[in-house]
Amino acid sequence: MLVRLLLCLVGFASLSVGLEHAALGDDADMPWSFRRPTRPAVPGTDQSTSGERARNPIDAFILAKLEEAGLAPAPTADKHTLVRRAYFDLLGLPPTPEQVERFVKDSSVDAWRNLIDELLRSKHYGERWGRHWLDVARYADSGGFEGDMAYPNAWRYRDYVVRSFNRDTPYNIFVQEQIAGDELWPDNMDLDPKRVYIVAPEKLRHLEARLGTGLYGFGPRVSESALDARRFQYETLTDWVDTTGSVFLGLTIGCARCHEHKFDPISQDDYYAMQAIFTSSIEVDVPVHSTMETVTWQGSYPQILLVHEARRAYQLFQQRTAGRALTEQEKAEDTRLRDTIVKNVMALLDTNPSVPHTAFDPLMQIPRATVLGHDRTELVKPVYFLERGELYRPQQEMKPALPESLAEATDRKAEVTGPFGSRRELALWLTRVDHPLTARVMVNRIWQWHFGQGIVATPNDFGQNGVPPTHPKLLDWLATEFVARGWSVKEMHRLIMRSDTWRMSSRFGNDEHRELDPDNRLLWRMNRRRLEAEALWDAVHATAGTINLKTGGRPAVPPLAEDEIAALRVKSHWPVSGDPAEHTRRGLYILVLRNFRFPMFDVFDAPVSSVSCPQRDVTTVATQALWSLNSPSVYRQAKQLAGRVVSESGDEPDAWVERLWMIALARPISDEEKQESIRFLDALADGPNKDQQIRETLRECPQSLTTLPRPQAAALVKLCLTLYNINEFAFVD
Amino acid sequence: MMNRGCRGHLPTRSRREFLKNFGLGLGTLALGDLLLRDGFAADAIAENPLARRTPHFPAKAKHVIFLFMQGGPSHLETFDPKPAMAKYDGQLLPESLRDFDLAQINTADAKILAPIFPFRKYGESGLEISDLFPELAEHADKLAVIRSCYHELFIHGSALTMMHSGTQLMAHPSVGAWVVYGLGCESDNLPAYVAMTDKIFRNGAATYNSGFLPAVYQGTYLRTEGAPIQNLRRPAGLDAHEQQQLLDQINHWNRRHRSQRPLDSRLDARIANYELAFRMQSAAPELIRISEETKATRALYGVDDGPTANFGKMCLLARRMVERGVRYIHLVNNDWDAHSECKARHQTQARQVDRPIAGLLADLQQRGLLESTLIVWGGEFGRTPIRQGNRGRDHHPYGFSVWMAGGGIRGGRTIGATDDFGFRAIDDKVHVNDLHATMLSLLGLDHERLTYLFEGRERRLTDVGGENDLSRRLTAWV
Repeated sequence: MLVRLLLCLVGFASLSVGLEHAALGDDADMPWSFRRPTRPAVPGTDQSTSGERARNPIDAFILAKLEEAGLAPAPTADKHTLVRRAYFDLLGLPPTPEQVERFVKDSSVDAWRNLIDELLRSKHYGERWGRHWLDVARYADSGGFEGDMAYPNAWRYRDYVVRSFNRDTPYNIFVQEQIAGDELWPDNMDLDPKRVYIVAPEKLRHLEARLGTGLYGFGPRVSESALDARRFQYETLTDWVDTTGSVFLGLTIGCARCHEHKFDPISQDDYYAMQAIFTSSIEVDVPVHSTMETVTWQGSYPQILLVHEARRAYQLFQQRTAGRALTEQEKAEDTRLRDTIVKNVMALLDTNPSVPHTAFDPLMQIPRATVLGHDRTELVKPVYFLERGELYRPQQEMKPALPESLAEATDRKAEVTGPFGSRRELALWLTRVDHPLTARVMVNRIWQWHFGQGIVATPNDFGQNGVPPTHPKLLDWLATEFVARGWSVKEMHRLIMRSDTWRMSSRFGNDEHRELDPDNRLLWRMNRRRLEAEALWDAVHATAGTINLKTGGRPAVPPLAEDEIAALRVKSHWPVSGDPAEHTRRGLYILVLRNFRFPMFDVFDAPVSSVSCPQRDVTTVATQALWSLNSPSVYRQAKQLAGRVVSESGDEPDAWVERLWMIALARPISDEEKQESIRFLDALADGPNKDQQIRETLRECPQSLTTLPRPQAAALVKLCLTLYNINEFAFVD
Repeated sequence: MMNRGCRGHLPTRSRREFLKNFGLGLGTLALGDLLLRDGFAADAIAENPLARRTPHFPAKAKHVIFLFMQGGPSHLETFDPKPAMAKYDGQLLPESLRDFDLAQINTADAKILAPIFPFRKYGESGLEISDLFPELAEHADKLAVIRSCYHELFIHGSALTMMHSGTQLMAHPSVGAWVVYGLGCESDNLPAYVAMTDKIFRNGAATYNSGFLPAVYQGTYLRTEGAPIQNLRRPAGLDAHEQQQLLDQINHWNRRHRSQRPLDSRLDARIANYELAFRMQSAAPELIRISEETKATRALYGVDDGPTANFGKMCLLARRMVERGVRYIHLVNNDWDAHSECKARHQTQARQVDRPIAGLLADLQQRGLLESTLIVWGGEFGRTPIRQGNRGRDHHPYGFSVWMAGGGIRGGRTIGATDDFGFRAIDDKVHVNDLHATMLSLLGLDHERLTYLFEGRERRLTDVGGENDLSRRLTAWV
């Protein structure tokens, strides 16, 4: 609490400084976003029209603009809509019927506040909002291009992001950790000599911070570029600098690599000076457990050798007998040799005696994280200004520096120390309370993820070529509020979701709205949103009751249908998880290959992940309908959903459909729908001559369905499939 | 068309915003400009981004079939005769050519390998083609061979990315995506852009992806065996009648849902998509049913003959797709990467594609489709004039051959030239960007006006290049 208070004080103190110096940045050539945000007054609104709605400052800003435009805002959405919206927004999961019930029946004044707090406490919150961040961070588990080399440790960054959101790590710290975790928290994992088996919490804290720099370890990469060390480094630095610009500055600076940036005051000099900040850094693998684990692995080495030798013996046998039929004796030998391999593999340890309760597999790498560290001084490569961005046209050598005009806007000299420690300076500069971009860029992202569109519609382009903010004062108010509230992302959720603006209905609009603001830029209603790829995947499995809500760990790899895997060049790049429970993990945990996206995600607009993606497409293509209608995986879930409906509601079709509507759509079924769905069930069950279909449909169906008359059970499965296909399931009002 | 976001946000764009963006007098005219000029409401494209669109100027071609020879066929063994090289066989390259980077061999000390196959003159034009393509040679007067193609990327991954998207960076749209973005789709029940391969796409889905363009413009990978498109088959247990019942019910509930939600065209788009999906279920299997083709047609493509069966089937399907309005068809033949046995490798590959391609040209012509269909043949690079090992050739991007036919092209001619060793394009150089500009031009699209705003810049397929647009020359009588 004290810390929070201090941060507030520091925040406000600096903000007032910002105000005094506003004139300094008052340069006509400077984009609005390069000037420090000042704290605007909350507008007064006409109480007769807005009444109580303006109790939250957000509403005051939004209503003021609407009044100006002469547009009426939508009324507040009903409770069923709100609870479903809140669950998808904060957790990316649908509420269960019980969760819906509890909220709808709670008539206390704090019901809404309590719901938000409860959702923010959920460990699934970080999975939802972490996924948003991973889009921006261009997260992937492989490098792309032809080789698509694996990044075996990228997932540790993914889990770090999830944890950071769950813990509500202040955003300034989150930024510092990702850019310079190793320089700001440099302690290593050496054992505390006095407490041999225990790693001190401070050391773990330092390790956690370093995991943030994993951001730089999974960029797109041409494996063959490694043939040319200079090119490899250049491509890496290009990715690092472009990513830093897009993610933290909200500026697309990649263009400045080849020419003076046409629209932004980021010069080509600035660009290569940024590369010079990163040139002394390299990716390093650090152990994520204590040194004892390494020792245990070394202890296992003879066993690993046994596996190796058994394999070698079998290879030699195969070579010896290749191309001919085996004799009886050889057949026995064949079996014996293979059994030896299996025996030796299975004899390997599966827990680590020195780190009990953790999974351990000596065949795998010792658990490590790929993070940033420092190259050896004598190996640090100089960065040159490259004419037209061409590697073989080097001009003058560059010194590390911040972008000149931005540094000036913060009254700081552009130079930073080098070659080491310059990332630290970059991170600290970015997270100054008076930095003109950092807080604005992040509150705009948060806003966009809540409303579907940002106050600045180009979240990675706050430069001259971006779209100017629709509500500049609101943006600045939010940015200053964000800093004042200790850069707490969860506080921003509370602020936004408690507003009436967020709670508006989406089922609203007339000709006037269509005429004056068809894109709803002024927010006269809530934007209806189609579930993103992962949320749709999760919704299907959550409603079917099959979702595995385990958190974290190596990527899950669900099996693919034969027509889905056909496009994958090297089939071993999709190593299906041995444990079937892994196949229904949340979408966040599914392997992200740059060269082969999980087919369902590919169809539903998951990002390409080669550059930072601030906002996903929402397209409507026929292959989406084909997935929902025909994919074996949706059909399997429809069976599970039918089973769940029966086991939770008994034998009566009336009860089934009531329950089904609550599970799938989080609202009670209407009388009309009830009649229609019963009629539909009857029509399906009464269809002519369909034994074969029914047998197929009920194959591998859950136990509870087997107690029903078979035609009815099959009909229910198809009704469930229908619900997975309707717009109401895929959209959130 | 202007757009923003990582891959745009097309469906919610409003007409007003279109007008605003296009009214600013940007240096280049964007696609939206032509939409409006042609009486297209921006709303229409927002609702159906695949709606058919009028090109910038009258088009020669409406369809493209790209015959992609993955691995890099040798220009010296196919379309760029260098008879004088024979006398240098086994010698070093001239000094001036010894300073170039190659993938696996050293230019400074590798020895010249004389071209392996003899060339002959064919047709009225006397176009020179090597003995590898006896059947294609019959169509010499249809082919315009560009002998001066070049880029500077000598590894497959980047070179393929360059050939497919005009840059070596990831996440840029492939040519087909740009074309469909510019022209829309002509088929009501098949995808606008289809990619097929006889083995693999070496660069994975990046070969046919839409990069930063909206995902509707990405290619659909169509398989020649089994279900041609993912999830096309109904799940076991659901017959056609039941699926129709389901669709009726989905439709009924969706329409009611829609009627309670004003101003949201995405809901309509999704309703329409279920209808398209339903039609695709029958149209796509119908498309690949080549058993209904006559014996003569099948023989033309070599569909029933071992070595040509695979690629022949793909070429035949390409013709069927053109007939059904598919806009852009990308066909890949694998394994031209002749590092060790250049001769045998080229013989094997040429055997696979010679008849199918000749058949495709003949068949398109006899059906009156060749004039409106642009055929492009090429790989990601050529091969070195110098030896790798004893009888192989390494990757070579500094000069290689691509040919075009159909689509209004006057054939029987060559464009540009490489030096005496086939090492560098020296005359009338055609960069990949120029090649792409030419393709767009033939389709009626101006490569400088077909733009898309991404990461702060109006992006083009041709990046900052494309000045050497050959379309005028290729379509004019000599």
